[in-house]
Amino acid sequence: MGTPFAVFVVSTLIIVGVFAGVALGTRRPHPVDYPKSTRLRTMFFVALAAILIAFLVFTLPRLPYSLAAGAPARIVHAVGKQYAWSLTDGSGPTLANWDREFSPTVTVPAGTPVEFRVTTLDANHGFSLYAPDGHLVAQTQAMPGYVNRLRVVFDKPGTYAVLCLEFCGMSHHRMRGVVEVRR
Amino acid sequence: MTTTMAPAVASMPRHDVYRTQLTRVTLVWVLTALVLFPVLAILGLLMRTQQGGYLQAVPPEYFYAIMTLHGLGMVGLWFVAGMAGVSVLLANYVRPTPVVSWIAYGATLAGVVLLIGDQWLPADQYWRYFLYPLPFFSGGTWPAWATAALFVALGIMGVGWTLWSGDLLWAIARKFRLSHALGWQYLSGSAAPEVPPIVIISTVSLIGVLAGLVAAVVILTLVGVERLGGNFTNDALLIKNLTFYFGHMLVNITMYFGVAMVYEVLPAYAGRPWKTNALVVASWNLVLFLVMFAYLHHLYMDFAQPQWLQVFGQLSSYLISVPAAVVTIFSTLVLLYGSTMRWRLPSVMLFLGVMGWAIGGVAAVIDSTVAVNTHFHNTLWVPAHFHTYYVLGVVLMILGTVFHLVTDLSKLPESGALTRAIVGTVGIGGYGFVLMFYLAGVAGVPRRYAVYPEELAVGTQYAKISLAFITILLAGALIYIWETWRRCVKALSL
Repeated sequence: MGTPFAVFVVSTLIIVGVFAGVALGTRRPHPVDYPKSTRLRTMFFVALAAILIAFLVFTLPRLPYSLAAGAPARIVHAVGKQYAWSLTDGSGPTLANWDREFSPTVTVPAGTPVEFRVTTLDANHGFSLYAPDGHLVAQTQAMPGYVNRLRVVFDKPGTYAVLCLEFCGMSHHRMRGVVEVRR
Repeated sequence: MTTTMAPAVASMPRHDVYRTQLTRVTLVWVLTALVLFPVLAILGLLMRTQQGGYLQAVPPEYFYAIMTLHGLGMVGLWFVAGMAGVSVLLANYVRPTPVVSWIAYGATLAGVVLLIGDQWLPADQYWRYFLYPLPFFSGGTWPAWATAALFVALGIMGVGWTLWSGDLLWAIARKFRLSHALGWQYLSGSAAPEVPPIVIISTVSLIGVLAGLVAAVVILTLVGVERLGGNFTNDALLIKNLTFYFGHMLVNITMYFGVAMVYEVLPAYAGRPWKTNALVVASWNLVLFLVMFAYLHHLYMDFAQPQWLQVFGQLSSYLISVPAAVVTIFSTLVLLYGSTMRWRLPSVMLFLGVMGWAIGGVAAVIDSTVAVNTHFHNTLWVPAHFHTYYVLGVVLMILGTVFHLVTDLSKLPESGALTRAIVGTVGIGGYGFVLMFYLAGVAGVPRRYAVYPEELAVGTQYAKISLAFITILLAGALIYIWETWRRCVKALSL
């Protein structure tokens, strides 16, 4: 996520620089040059519009929702319930058979698409995958009555943590599962 | 040390019974805000302290109780402070009803007391975030009546705020037709009747408030029907849309109240007028339309939401930044550049508030990009950007306006040394504080975590560093509060 942060830092420096320049500009009072300010405003509008359009063109093809790449190599049913994730190959546990069907760990292959079918048996939860080095790989919400389908290709093998990213109650921070990625 | 007075324009109305009544209720709002602000800020400090690895003996339940109190409290506080500030400035043009402001004050107080009592008086009841259906899944930590009390409290405040917003709109409507209050005559090339920008922005904002409160009523009704109606179950995605529509609207409108204050007060210090023109009108009417859809960026990670809505969410979030940047922020800079600006505490706070709004806005636009949101959603990037445009944006705008008004009323001179102390501490403390959030957000550290897991220990380090900045920020806030408090008290005694 270095690029968005770099965009933010550069933008912030420009904003601070412009505001500082305007503040210093009050040391030499003079009338407003309206034609010049209109030209500058037009240039600013064009530049901002160009930047936003460029961002749209660059980012909209990268939406995380596409399921068009064919059938996934593996389907994992991720079911949230205060305060645990169940990760299974089958259809996932219900409230009635939770204790029998629940599994906090699943093993999946590296290098091929894995589809997580994510839902919840109680409140909203946030299904997130953290790589062994701690960076956030992907996420989707777990919503009552819905199944959100999240496709991920794990480039590297290792132990990935499943954390909850939607506040779900007093042990929210303890809610976790494990995805073992093997070659 | 220099001593200066606030310019005698855009001032608190007074000199007759009506204006005295409005001034009195406004000063009571201000005094209440001055008490609540540091209390709620200290709750924030406690949260970062626990996230920094200290206070480990305190159960996480208290963290989440404090989190909800801090979040709901701050959003509510700055909304009512914005309403109070805008209503008193509007009184330069129209006549809001002071007694309605008192009713809103009473309803707010009753709601807050009920909420705090609901959560804190019973030893084992705790506050919680209220995204449906979480209030109904207590995990045994709170009883059903506590959830009912939560919604009753929110309902009481909602009724008070609806009356207040309605009264302000009614005050505007008694003087201007709706089309004039929205400035449409400027779009057809006419400047008659002349309408000041604060009236246009307030009209847009108050319509937005009512539109948001309608969603709140729908949520309360739907959830209430579910609890009373047996087998009926609400659609979680629908309630989530309504909840974020309401919440995002309330926060955005609070921002616009701050911006309305900038339009009204800053020209007094710059020595230049800020008049309505077609560009200002077009910009704010566009905002009225777009603000209803910008909330969609909160639901990017709800993959069940139709994809066209997700794309529309990114488009509307991008678009709404254009009028803010090209019209309001650019015009602020044009207003000031080369002006005979009087740099006093209010004008510095308003100026820096606009800058904080711009910086927080950039961070918000970045996060409103779906492809980026995948990595930033519900990480500390979120509190990073909203603390930037709150603490360093709208809060500075509101507090700057409040200081302008109470200095004008009390006639107590401003101390240059204290102004520099406030600006320096708030600037260093504030930006250092949010920087720690941004860095943690980039590292993927989750928001709303009482304790960070081992693999995200970097979050603990950033929280530790942020404690120093928060302390500096609080020191500046306390100086400001003391200076404003004594002006308020003197103004009330006059």
